[in-house]
Amino acid sequence: MSPAGWVFLAVSWGFIIGLCLFCFRRMFQTRRK
Amino acid sequence: MAEHARGHHGSAERWGSRLGIILAVAGSAVGLGNFLRFPVQAAQHGGGAFMIPYFVALLLLGIPLSIVEWTIGRYGGTHGHNTAAGAFAAMWRWRGAKYLGLLGVFGPWVIFLYYTYVESWTLAFSYFSLAGLYDRSTDAVSMSAFLKAFQGLAPNDRFANIGTAYFFFLVTFGLNLVVLAGGIRRGIEFVSKVFLPMLFVLAVLLVVQIFWLGVLGAQPDPGWNSRVLDGLGYLWNPDFSVLGDSNVWLAAAGQILFTLSVGIGAIVTYASYLRPDDDVTLSALSAVGMNEFAEVMLGGCLVIPAAYAFFGSGEMTAIAKGGAFNLGFVTMPLVLNQMPVRHLVGCAWFFLLFLAGITSSISLAQPVVAFFQNVYGWTRAKAVTVFGLTSFVLSQPAIWWLGHGAVDEMDFWGGTFCLVVFGTMEVLLFGWIFGMDRGWREIHRGALVKLHPVFKVIIRYVTPAYLLFLLAFWLYDSAKATIAMSGVSAADRPYVLATRWLLIGLFIVLALSMRTALRGRRRIQELRP
Repeated sequence: MSPAGWVFLAVSWGFIIGLCLFCFRRMFQTRRK
Repeated sequence: MAEHARGHHGSAERWGSRLGIILAVAGSAVGLGNFLRFPVQAAQHGGGAFMIPYFVALLLLGIPLSIVEWTIGRYGGTHGHNTAAGAFAAMWRWRGAKYLGLLGVFGPWVIFLYYTYVESWTLAFSYFSLAGLYDRSTDAVSMSAFLKAFQGLAPNDRFANIGTAYFFFLVTFGLNLVVLAGGIRRGIEFVSKVFLPMLFVLAVLLVVQIFWLGVLGAQPDPGWNSRVLDGLGYLWNPDFSVLGDSNVWLAAAGQILFTLSVGIGAIVTYASYLRPDDDVTLSALSAVGMNEFAEVMLGGCLVIPAAYAFFGSGEMTAIAKGGAFNLGFVTMPLVLNQMPVRHLVGCAWFFLLFLAGITSSISLAQPVVAFFQNVYGWTRAKAVTVFGLTSFVLSQPAIWWLGHGAVDEMDFWGGTFCLVVFGTMEVLLFGWIFGMDRGWREIHRGALVKLHPVFKVIIRYVTPAYLLFLLAFWLYDSAKATIAMSGVSAADRPYVLATRWLLIGLFIVLALSMRTALRGRRRIQELRP
């Protein structure tokens, strides 16, 4: 796997993990309210 | 249908919880495409560089369309409609609107007709794995022969006819009907809440198995990890030269529509069972996030790295070019057969596909069941029974004419063409006819996340332009060849043509019966004092 491949993998996974974390955090916050 | 809506304040059926609907929509989206189609598409179209058009399509097509579909569905639901046909009629006073919306009932039905058959193969293969039935098949040729014999295309000593495949089809078909008969809360929501977490656990276990096989395997293989990483490299190492190729952008857009189950009509139906002030923005984003997690992170770590580590670069390229289908039913059994506890791992892989399949197929069926309930006023039991009987008859071409291209024909019109056309209609209806300001207010009613105003521009201009470009490109590039069946052999043409007429006939019957039912209802309403 080339360094550019790692970069693509990291950016893609980071984006998806970020989206999931954002959604679950918001959902948890609103549930507590 | 709009007249029938008056006096209704939402349908009787409701989701039990927010998590339930999110899991049901995510279950609808997470299907065979996530684990089979995505890795092949990515590897064939520039590896890591494919993710650039993929994420552009996710942001400009997938997320906006998903939010629009959830909103249209909830709006239709508050007016007593559970299908796109009814929702379109509620949003647009033009008499023809419901016929355009009918595409959101017809499309999923067409996909259901062949999808259940493919889904039944995954159930059959999970049993075959457990029983060690394909242990004798040790290469791609013998595994292909096993699959073809099972499908009744080339009988051999193992499968003399299509009987086994037909048995598993009946079981799968019956299971789908049982879930549908349970209704929204006790059927679809229950199954999604149980099956989707199971699917994620199975997928994670398989990823762990593949990545740690060098350590966990019966005979430690020190070179294993580097080969798996090379497999990941096959998927992720970027080839920027493809970014100038419009086909790559089309493939990425197609994959996004396909994987998120947008442009089908299933989300419209599911969202119609929400309450009027239930959130749609955060729910839509959560379902998109879960689908992408399953597709990019789990789907990308399974098939390609495993096949690469076992077969090496040359054979892997040939396998990927052979298509998603071969990869799932021919390559993966061979790969998994070389692992420790191979029967269990093989069973887990196919059961994972089965779980992904059934949560999708029930979402394809529910729009039709809801259509029968809404338009004819039938009970759920009657709607499911009629749906079951008609679907059983209509799915026969997919089974008996598989070798003649019937499934490919259904897949193109129901699973590709309708997606783009219906998605375009939805976003144009929402942004231009229903009105963007009104639509924006509707999106944010009860919303737990406020969307950035840039989405207003995206939904009104960018998404429709993107979809219209896709349609125009198809018309220019391949419409003539597709309609003229130029890639189909002379022997198969009668079957493909018959399938095509069957689909046209189905749409006409649906439209005429809806017209008759609504006219009858209007007459009854006029007779009332």
